Amino acid sequence: MDQLLQHAANAMIIGGTYALLGIGLTLIFGIMKVVNFTHGELYSFGAYMMYAWVMLIGADFMVSLVLAVVLGIALGALVEFVLLRRLRGADIDTTMLVMIGAWIAMQNTEQLAWSGVAKSIVSPFPADPLVLGPVSISWTRLFVFVVALVLIAATYALIQRTKLGKAMRATFQDRQAAALMGVQINSIHTATFALGSGLAAAAGALLGPVFVVYPTIGDSASLKAFAIVILGGLGSIPGATIGGFILAFAEELGAGYVSSGYRDAMGFLLIILILIFKPTGLFAQKERIG
Amino acid sequence: MLEVEGLVCRYGKVAAVQDLSITVARGELVSLIGTNGAGKTTTLKAISGILPPAAGRIVFEGEDITRASARRILQLGIAHCPEGRRVFPYMTVRENLEMGCFLRSDAAGISEDMDRLFARFPVLAERRDQAAGTLSGGEQQMLAISRALMSRPKLVLFDEPSLGLAPNIVERTFEIVKEIREQGVTVVMVEQNAFAALELSDRAYVLEQGRVTLSGTGRQLLDDPSVQQAYLGT
Repeated sequence: MDQLLQHAANAMIIGGTYALLGIGLTLIFGIMKVVNFTHGELYSFGAYMMYAWVMLIGADFMVSLVLAVVLGIALGALVEFVLLRRLRGADIDTTMLVMIGAWIAMQNTEQLAWSGVAKSIVSPFPADPLVLGPVSISWTRLFVFVVALVLIAATYALIQRTKLGKAMRATFQDRQAAALMGVQINSIHTATFALGSGLAAAAGALLGPVFVVYPTIGDSASLKAFAIVILGGLGSIPGATIGGFILAFAEELGAGYVSSGYRDAMGFLLIILILIFKPTGLFAQKERIG
Repeated sequence: MLEVEGLVCRYGKVAAVQDLSITVARGELVSLIGTNGAGKTTTLKAISGILPPAAGRIVFEGEDITRASARRILQLGIAHCPEGRRVFPYMTVRENLEMGCFLRSDAAGISEDMDRLFARFPVLAERRDQAAGTLSGGEQQMLAISRALMSRPKLVLFDEPSLGLAPNIVERTFEIVKEIREQGVTVVMVEQNAFAALELSDRAYVLEQGRVTLSGTGRQLLDDPSVQQAYLGT
């Protein structure tokens, strides 16, 4: 029982960042219909920016976190502006190939810039964990969880309440009708991709100090993000949020009770089961925003 | 108020509109009638800026809008109520109306307009927090019309407002179009229901294969033997 509580606590904490990763991709893949292979690279970009600002430049941890997210948003906007804008209306295969190319280019650039050696980021939080009865949680992880929840809530509010969020939903529900309302479709595409990318960078910047950072961390982040989006149903933000937590629980419990070697496999086992029994994902259509 | 001169629109190599010219005076209700593929919808899309014309000139209140963006054209006062209603299905009724006034920032005026529309269409008020996709066809048409009016347009383009609606709703829709025009808004309407359109219109243009083949007042066209034969089924 104690062990189960500890696993549950770990899963909740990782689940928050998985949800961020998933929400980011559901905006881009579920709503914009761009099969975004660069999502994981934005995640590792966020982690490396955290490393650069905290460890190399010596900036404040919180300031570095904000900078990493802002730079992630900027990189996302750049990818959209330089690559995707030209591909508007192009075949899905063409877009997919370009994004695969971008993924490889970005990952190799990271390798070139940071070398293949894993880096660790020191967090400013006390090393002694917070102990609550049988459960102990490191302060860094707790911080990561809280920030992830705040970002999830902020994203919800942005999409549901703001004018930009409404324009995004309108654009991806009916592009031509949105244009007739005076929405600038190109800017909305850029903003949506930038937002999704910023969330991936945030997930990377948050988990970087928890784990270690190396050039291929983006690959498993991408796979997980796609798994979460499929799990939750394409384009559903609540689905991606819950999907993130479900994946984290499956991984944590699988690693704890089956074998830690199967950690990554558990998530995909879950996806296979869901695709067999509920192919539209758990929350498809009903609550999708686009 | 609106002058379209020598308009040519192409989809790829196929010309949907060839050398079309129409004029609309302030306060008029002008209809474009014709069969499927005559170029009616294409003409409206060119005017509202979502389909750039291949050639020709469109002038609205003295300003050349031939190559202007849809946003700019809306700002100048042309709203387009598209064919098939095209409400945002997963957004609520209220959010759809908010999209209608996307370019406005006068909060007081917006809420005043919204209240007025809710008073005029109580069913929309009842369903203001319901997703637009769950409304009936007639209700969606009311919403689409209201959404277009939320921009406080000087000119509204209606594309097939009666399409796919139950007969009693069709009648109601035409009444609403008439009311809008009585409030001083200029209307250009594309309609397959030629009889109803001609009865309602000050003037009308008959389109065939992307060209104007006939024009006149609604009455003149209703009495024209060729129009009667081709479009009125008498």
